Amino acid sequence: MSSVGNVDQFKQSFREEAREILVDLESALLELNENSGDLDLVGRVFRALHTIKGSGAMFGFDELAAFTHNLENAFDEVRNGRLKVSSDLIDLTLSALDQIRAMIEDGAGGAAAADPAICGAILAKVRLMTGKLESKPAAPKAALPLPEPARGPLHTWEIHFAPAPEMMLNGADPLLLLRELRQLGGLSVKASMAAVPPLAELDPARCYVSWEMVLATDAGREAICDVFIFVEDTCELTIESIEPAVEATAENAAPEGGVTAGEQRTAVEQTAKGLEDPRATSGGRRTYDKADTVSSLRVPAAKLDQFVDLVGELVTVQARLSEIAARFDDAEIASVSEEIERLTSSLRENSMNIRMTPIRATFEKFRRLVHDLARDLGKDVELTIEGAETELDKTVIDQLSDPLMHLIRNSMDHGIETPAKRVAAGKRPTASIHLSARHSGASVLIGVSDDGGGIDADAVRSRAVEKGIVPSDAQLSEEECFALIFQPGFSTAKQVTDVSGRGVGMDVVQQRVDSLRGSIDVASKRGSGTSVTLRLPLTLAIIDGLLVNVGEAYFVLPLANILECIELTSQDITQANGKHMVIVRGEVVPYIRLREHFNIRTPRPEIEQIMVVETEEGRYGFVVDQVLGDCQTVIKNLGRFYRHVQVVSGATILGNGTVALILDPYRLVQDAVRAATPSTRQANVSAGLRSASIPVRERQTQAGVTAKE
Amino acid sequence: MPIGLETKDEHSVVGLEGAIGIAQAAELKQLLVQALQSGFPVRVSLESATELDVTAVELLWAAEREARGSGVEFALKGQVPQGLLTVLAEAGFEKFPIPVEVS
Repeated sequence: MSSVGNVDQFKQSFREEAREILVDLESALLELNENSGDLDLVGRVFRALHTIKGSGAMFGFDELAAFTHNLENAFDEVRNGRLKVSSDLIDLTLSALDQIRAMIEDGAGGAAAADPAICGAILAKVRLMTGKLESKPAAPKAALPLPEPARGPLHTWEIHFAPAPEMMLNGADPLLLLRELRQLGGLSVKASMAAVPPLAELDPARCYVSWEMVLATDAGREAICDVFIFVEDTCELTIESIEPAVEATAENAAPEGGVTAGEQRTAVEQTAKGLEDPRATSGGRRTYDKADTVSSLRVPAAKLDQFVDLVGELVTVQARLSEIAARFDDAEIASVSEEIERLTSSLRENSMNIRMTPIRATFEKFRRLVHDLARDLGKDVELTIEGAETELDKTVIDQLSDPLMHLIRNSMDHGIETPAKRVAAGKRPTASIHLSARHSGASVLIGVSDDGGGIDADAVRSRAVEKGIVPSDAQLSEEECFALIFQPGFSTAKQVTDVSGRGVGMDVVQQRVDSLRGSIDVASKRGSGTSVTLRLPLTLAIIDGLLVNVGEAYFVLPLANILECIELTSQDITQANGKHMVIVRGEVVPYIRLREHFNIRTPRPEIEQIMVVETEEGRYGFVVDQVLGDCQTVIKNLGRFYRHVQVVSGATILGNGTVALILDPYRLVQDAVRAATPSTRQANVSAGLRSASIPVRERQTQAGVTAKE
Repeated sequence: MPIGLETKDEHSVVGLEGAIGIAQAAELKQLLVQALQSGFPVRVSLESATELDVTAVELLWAAEREARGSGVEFALKGQVPQGLLTVLAEAGFEKFPIPVEVS
């Protein structure tokens, strides 16, 4: 049946929403751990659990709904002052969160399934805490347990709800929403069939019904909106408050202190009589009686990737058009070509911006990791976050989680001392890990720093010698020693723990950063802490580049790296006695001749061009035959076969159909330095270790691969 | 078979069993159209139905309206389970959208 795909799609949409709610829930729980008296945080936790429960039931996650319901009840008890926030409750809820997460993923993408034994144990503990066991798992589509009787001032709300026609097709059921709404208080419902077409024209899978409702509840607008959270972007929804508010007094309160649903309903029904006939609905829009907040649209990431790919194709075709326009001496064609170039450029920037997402969610999820590890390791650690709003290409963000996790684990296990040791060293017992993000030109800098014991450069060095990574007589600076920690299999840990010590993590960091065409900087001071900075490109899809040629070969260098272009004449070469360096405004700049580096056997022109590039090694020049101009470059992957050729970060197709290789200036410099020295391990290490920011590993996978390949 | 159409005693009887949801919507529409075109009075049996979702209610409502417009007799056969009536009433379908068979 065709709706199966839609159901899956809608479930997927629920998963995505729920993941975000879980991140927020996790943060709220961890904050609550610090400020156990904060009622706003309790409310936040309760609402998040309530939303997950309600929406889960709506999308057929019945097990999830029933499980979450018990937790929600526990936090309702907290909200009502009957249960105190304790670290046990927080830890229990965090463990429950893992199970909820597993239920949401439901095995999708290889995720582990929820463990019934753990779920059972969690529920048993919740039961002990709340002193009662809530309902067994709700049967599919069964009515969820009635809410606690309403307390405090009652408000009456008039709600108009017209689902999107596709709502049923998407796997959601409006009747479950109404049921969820009923839990908030007394509800009077009237369905309108006005929009149902004649039988012959009726699409049997569409929802044509809309509802007019009156709800009397002590829950606020937010709670009502939460019921519709997963459909609000596609449905027509109006929530209006009807005055006056009804005070819940001793007279109208139920024995347990609330208003009975029946009494509420009577009051509501009276109000409902005044309702006009349902308004005509158009669908796809929601309105509130107050000015609405900024709306946003949720788009599947795959669609966005496809969009960016298409923009990439357009950029390539536009380059072709520009080239053709340049050949024809026609003002009209040139004008159209320029206009298209301008538009394409804007479109490219816009599409790139759409892909940019804040790093907040990635950062926030480490709060939990730090909390759990601190508990397991008997350490006291607080996580601080800076620059969470910094935006990065989503592809980069997607790949950042693992390296950051390994860096934090490493820091928690090796860097940060126990509270007793910290106090003995004159530090405060609570250690700090600081996660930061900031932009720097076309790169973003992600920092993980701690105020732990720092890296013991001598220990690293001896371990490296022991492992045969460096010869025993190697003279290494402190920075060079730090770079060794990213070697595969390297670990100074005396014993392997659950947290680290296998020497795997930091290698993963290096590999992932390499694959993102980034670099790593390590700074550490014994006794004061360590700071690791990842420098990553902002985007991986399209860059501004400078197109150059050497003989018949075309190359693109990222424009962000280039400082200037100057001429290299035979006189300059003679002055330098044939050495590969040139003096630019009094400064000696070494250069790499791409013709020689790539073994291109065409005659050298009389005057060559040097592109001066700023690298972390200082200024370097790249000598080419001609600089052809700037170009928007769509980065195409070269495929697995060339994955070890690191000086080339990709390829692009030019307007005339020619393929140009996109060069990585940092790697080129590194490669040239290595090639200039004899290929022994000693030489490789000493050359590669000029800075901790340059990878020193001589990976087996890299063995034998040179740029000339 | 949750949905069926049979001709019995010169009536077209559409029988619904169990939970009728969006998965059965296309088939239900087809059977209702067939029943209306059969030339016989139409009866809908919900005695064995446990759940009706919005799509099913819409279809029955539209079929009833169609029958009324074309002069075809269209009514419920037998009792509607109380649980089903309660759920429908809670969903705001105050009167179930089909007249009960007049014997």
